[in-house]
Amino acid sequence: MGYEELFPTNDLNGWHANAAKRFASPFVDNYHDRIDVDPIMLSNAAVHCGFTIRDFYEKPELGIHCVGYIAELFDLLPVTHWFFSLPWVRELGMTLVYKDTLPPIPTGPIYEPTAEGIENLKPIEKEDLLKGSTIPLFYNLYDYVQKNLPHTLVPISYGFDLVGASAELIGVENFIMWTFTEPDLAHKLVDTFVETSINGADALSDKYGMAMLIVGSVLANNDIFADEQVEEYGAKKMGHYVDQCFRKGAGPQIFYHLCGNHETSYKVFRNNLVWSPFTVIHVGYKGRIDFPSELLKQEFQDVATCMGSVDTKLMINPNPKAVYERSKECLLAGRDAKKGFILGNTCETPPYTIPGNLLAMTRAARDFGTYGTW
Amino acid sequence: MAITFSDAAKKNMEVKGLKEDDIKKIIESAGTDRIFNGERFIAKKVIGDLTVYADYSGKDGNITVNGAYCHKLSIRDIVLTGEDSGWKYCKNNKPVMKGHTDLEYMGAVRSGPSLVEPESGESWFEEYLANGALTTAEGLFEQKRA
Repeated sequence: MGYEELFPTNDLNGWHANAAKRFASPFVDNYHDRIDVDPIMLSNAAVHCGFTIRDFYEKPELGIHCVGYIAELFDLLPVTHWFFSLPWVRELGMTLVYKDTLPPIPTGPIYEPTAEGIENLKPIEKEDLLKGSTIPLFYNLYDYVQKNLPHTLVPISYGFDLVGASAELIGVENFIMWTFTEPDLAHKLVDTFVETSINGADALSDKYGMAMLIVGSVLANNDIFADEQVEEYGAKKMGHYVDQCFRKGAGPQIFYHLCGNHETSYKVFRNNLVWSPFTVIHVGYKGRIDFPSELLKQEFQDVATCMGSVDTKLMINPNPKAVYERSKECLLAGRDAKKGFILGNTCETPPYTIPGNLLAMTRAARDFGTYGTW
Repeated sequence: MAITFSDAAKKNMEVKGLKEDDIKKIIESAGTDRIFNGERFIAKKVIGDLTVYADYSGKDGNITVNGAYCHKLSIRDIVLTGEDSGWKYCKNNKPVMKGHTDLEYMGAVRSGPSLVEPESGESWFEEYLANGALTTAEGLFEQKRA
């Protein structure tokens, strides 16, 4: 039995038709219904459907079907996504293992943290990526979606955490030290991962005619680095990644995810990133608080659709009213952003997010999520 | 002026429905309203609802068109100005920078990565972008605004 036999079809003419029109509205200035809610739901969708976190990652087609199906329950985005934070590293030699309560994690660094240790490290070419594991995984996944959930298909290529994934190759603590002591080697590591990711986007866009790009600055945040290093290793590499992907036919949709604490480093992204007509920018935290929508709007509304942040900690707290109130604050501050606004969480909503809290976000969007004066 | 077209330019003109005469007129009438980088030039002209570009090189009246392309999105204001792109604007000999420019289509205004010359306020879009991301964006606008 295929996974598609486990799920009824979405309400295509009712819920999906309305959600699709709403989803497009911030990008084409054709305001409809209300501001959208995107809690960045991943394995939480599997949990809602009675499966496990491990199922979500070990069985990508099942995982993405859960995402597509459960979005209707909370009136979320009408499109599907499925990912974990370490694409392309298997092709670079790492081994990932599945866990019961986590996304796939590496078994450990594979290179000695020395110049000799990474002497032979080179980007993986497109032809070799086609024979690897990441591209076949995503080809199979999107083929499944095309066949069974075509109304939700958005082919996505992930650069994801360009710095964090590179750091795993020699160990995160060694990489952080290298940024101070051996910056040339640190750059070589990141550049290798970036070029490999660009070749991956090339392969995805070859097959699907386009590829949305999701790329973040996760390890490169203010808890670890100063603004200068976030700019050097995070923002500039992200800008290069998107520029090169566009030159190979990927895009035009981009999702920038500035994860963790970007207390002051949020300022280094505006002038270093590539902004396309369909770009969403999302920032997790400013210090210990969820990033203020007012500031997000002030910094980025001229160039992108802004996605506000409700702290993920609230999502596992049995207090839907607290989620509702925080969502309301977020919406009131961000809803008149020039190029549209989306209500989100500070990162992926936790796997055991309480359903009542998701409903609270959607309820707040219904109550306060109109576009300013509209 | 002898103008010949590369195979790549001919192929894209066929895909986009651009006419050789129009591309020739863009080149012949550009004057100083074009940018240059070494022996390469880019000139543009709004024809109907399209912004059409000729990317060409050559001297002594022998011109080769390397690329001919277009986009439906209308160029509006410069949004961001970045580092030097290596191009210069013939009209004022100022450096052309990497940047972002607002584009308008079907009533919506969104930014895209461009080449910009801030003093004149002029912007240009390169072929890879016009044929790739901007073409896809136009399709999405048409689909989503419908």
